Amino acid sequence: MGTETFGRTAVDPGWDALARVAAGEPDAFAGLVAMHQERLLRLCERLLGDVEEARDATQEVFLKAFRKAGDFRPRGQVYTWLYRIAVNHCLNRLRRRRLVRFLRWDDPTEDADAPAFDPPDPAADPAAALEARRRWGTTRRAIGKLPAGQRAVLVLARFEGLSYRQIAEVLEITEGAVESRLFRAMRRVEAAQETETSRVPPREGRR
Amino acid sequence: MNRATEMELMRLLHGELPPGEARALRDRLEREPELAAAWERLERSWRVLELPPPAPIPLGFAQRVAAQAGEQAGALSWAAAPGWVRAAAATALVTGIALGAGVGLWSGDPRRIVQVADEQLSAAVGDTSGAISDDDLAGSYWNALDEMGEAP
Repeated sequence: MGTETFGRTAVDPGWDALARVAAGEPDAFAGLVAMHQERLLRLCERLLGDVEEARDATQEVFLKAFRKAGDFRPRGQVYTWLYRIAVNHCLNRLRRRRLVRFLRWDDPTEDADAPAFDPPDPAADPAAALEARRRWGTTRRAIGKLPAGQRAVLVLARFEGLSYRQIAEVLEITEGAVESRLFRAMRRVEAAQETETSRVPPREGRR
Repeated sequence: MNRATEMELMRLLHGELPPGEARALRDRLEREPELAAAWERLERSWRVLELPPPAPIPLGFAQRVAAQAGEQAGALSWAAAPGWVRAAAATALVTGIALGAGVGLWSGDPRRIVQVADEQLSAAVGDTSGAISDDDLAGSYWNALDEMGEAP
């Protein structure tokens, strides 16, 4: 869960780093990046589904944060602010993908938005690895078909472990909207999972 | 099953129900088979939503980003321009690029092109989390054209 970084009472060392960045100490920025890089990279990877694109996006997110450091007013947590920049940035990248496809007259029914994960396989057991890949593939296709707003909510809830309130803070929407988007996203996910299940060929012994 | 009950199940799954309501719903799950089946379905769908472990952080990532930030620090930044200048420029850019793209990329019926463009843009913008800013829209057009090698 990301509760510890979002908790109102927790002392956030990012404040100090951000204040120093805003005061013209670029060196302080390295510390801020080191502090948040892991979670922002993971978030961008989950949203975009592509490791290389996620690295580019994370770098751009940090540079945006650097440029905006002076505008930042102490309210909430630094991490919420960084999450917000990251989510908006990734959603814009997803929009751009759609626009590129539109301008190229690509078929909008193609599954081109589905994340294309190709991670190192941690499982030693080939059967377990195969099963894990199947589950990842199903998830990837289900998430890829979600509208960007629903995708963001689902990723933040399922993979970042944020509460409705925390998601609402990041996306600057109401908790009701979070719940509603999550509900619609899960409806679509369930439908996608059912479709995938019906595609699995019957085993030999079942005939 | 109505939507309100399904929403309640989802809140239970995510630990968003107050303890009293959660207990009451769990009691109902034991008594109502239809509700229990819906709960199992939702829980299973949630559980099997899995993605691979994240890729490792590239070596020296933080240093590279900080170095880039340092390089940018002294440079004149578009972001530093007053808001009204940026807004006006973004609007002009969007209008110009949209016109240029329309004229340059397509040679069909202009009314049809505008109609399709409107529909597609509405679809792209309409399903996102909030209002799209001029900067973002201009950036999206610009990047799209740039990727196609069509940028002026």
